[in-house]
Amino acid sequence: MGDSHHFPLEVVDGLRLEKAVRDALRPGAVVHDDDGRARRLPRFFYEIPSWDHAMRLQLTPDFALWEFIQTDVREAEALRAFPRYVPCAVTLLAPSLQRFRDAVGTFVHIAANGGYRSPSHGVSGNASPHAWATAVNIYRVGDTYLDDREAIERYAAIARAALPGVWTRPFGWGRGLTDDHLHLDLGYVVSIPREAPADPAGVEPEVALAC
Amino acid sequence: MPQLIEPPAAFDSTQSEAAERLRARLQQIERDSGARALGVAVYDTATGFSFRYNAERWFHAASTIKLAILLGVYSAIHRGWLLPHSRLHVRNRFMSAVNGAPFRVAPDRDANAAVHTALGKMLRISDLARHMIATSSNLATNLLLDLVGLDTAQQSLAEFSIDGVDIRRGVEDERAFERGINNRVTAAGLVDLLHVIADRAAFSRELSDQMLELLHGQEFRSGIPARLPAAVRVAHKTGEISTVAHDAGVVYPPDRKPYVIAVLTEWSPEGSGRSATIAEISHLVFEMLTSADGHGR
Repeated sequence: MGDSHHFPLEVVDGLRLEKAVRDALRPGAVVHDDDGRARRLPRFFYEIPSWDHAMRLQLTPDFALWEFIQTDVREAEALRAFPRYVPCAVTLLAPSLQRFRDAVGTFVHIAANGGYRSPSHGVSGNASPHAWATAVNIYRVGDTYLDDREAIERYAAIARAALPGVWTRPFGWGRGLTDDHLHLDLGYVVSIPREAPADPAGVEPEVALAC
Repeated sequence: MPQLIEPPAAFDSTQSEAAERLRARLQQIERDSGARALGVAVYDTATGFSFRYNAERWFHAASTIKLAILLGVYSAIHRGWLLPHSRLHVRNRFMSAVNGAPFRVAPDRDANAAVHTALGKMLRISDLARHMIATSSNLATNLLLDLVGLDTAQQSLAEFSIDGVDIRRGVEDERAFERGINNRVTAAGLVDLLHVIADRAAFSRELSDQMLELLHGQEFRSGIPARLPAAVRVAHKTGEISTVAHDAGVVYPPDRKPYVIAVLTEWSPEGSGRSATIAEISHLVFEMLTSADGHGR
């Protein structure tokens, strides 16, 4: 890492991780969203050596890394032990969430499984932006639980005003809707930091893996 | 099922007389208490003595179904799918057994507030199991059943040939209740289930002991333990809705092997004296099994 860059986590190429981890992260794999559109999963990840690192790494004034990586027993077994991996876009998500936090003026609580979760997590659906580390599920803002239409729509409107282009899941009780949290995401954003390992142009992930 | 202990040869006549006296008392209690129905089953691990009174009759399970879910959770632990300290996201959103429509466990209908205060966070499987048993948390129950799956709970019952426990859904599923899709138990079924745990034959001795420890933590003690001597320990699970009140557990008298008992009662919604009835029946069984001229000491 150069002197001009002091971000403390190493960037790793997911295709060069050990097989069990690679199989769970599926770096660079193509998945499909709810409408059948192909989306390519992130390939580069920050490596988190320990929970202590995640606790101590403040991404913004009000959000530390650990808040984005809380996953439960339904996460793939290979991803429940450290070192753990999070797509590099988490450093784009955190400032966005900070901006939302500044707009609401109080604590914003990310739910367990509601930050980054891998595509292999038991509750991950088709091309969930959570697998890109560009989405959060917020179950509580200050003392307000976001579990009814009024609260969810009110804070969704604040998010859209504060974050141009952000997507908020509509309120409702059916598939693709939300009734017990606010989901907001930046879409399928992939971040490749400058210090990322080489990514041979035009080489598909499957080919790169064979190199 | 574990091997039943053969009763001693001199056992039958004396114990049969005591059983007939108990049966007569239960008939009287059933008449006098106002209960619509009683079901009682007992299995004495000290002698192999078994007593049954309407023990094959099906009752709405109420919270006694949590025993089957406990067995399912420990089946998942036994198979390595879970660890007791594995963490689970606490989310109050479940799918009805009728049509998959979402529903929630209303906090004001739940005996336990602790799990509701953890919404959005994670709790350990062992803590959720403790809340499910000791304070009968409905939210913990549905979270655990969602995690391990109905199939796992049903297969665990089948593994031990427990026919008298019929689990079909989680709790607080009003749509399913309105359609008559309910969990059911018989007194014999609950005794069979608890017998497996009491014999420390449920998956392993260690896991059986962990389940017994949870059952010993029961905080609702107005049923089976209420009229027993203070030195008697009881590992049990209660269950109550508007029309039923049950208690089923393993009773550990001092210096004696335990016995397993299930007392199931059905009432009109305005019926009273439920816990007292269960406590009285529990007391009668205790007296019968531990009286000076009884067996198994």
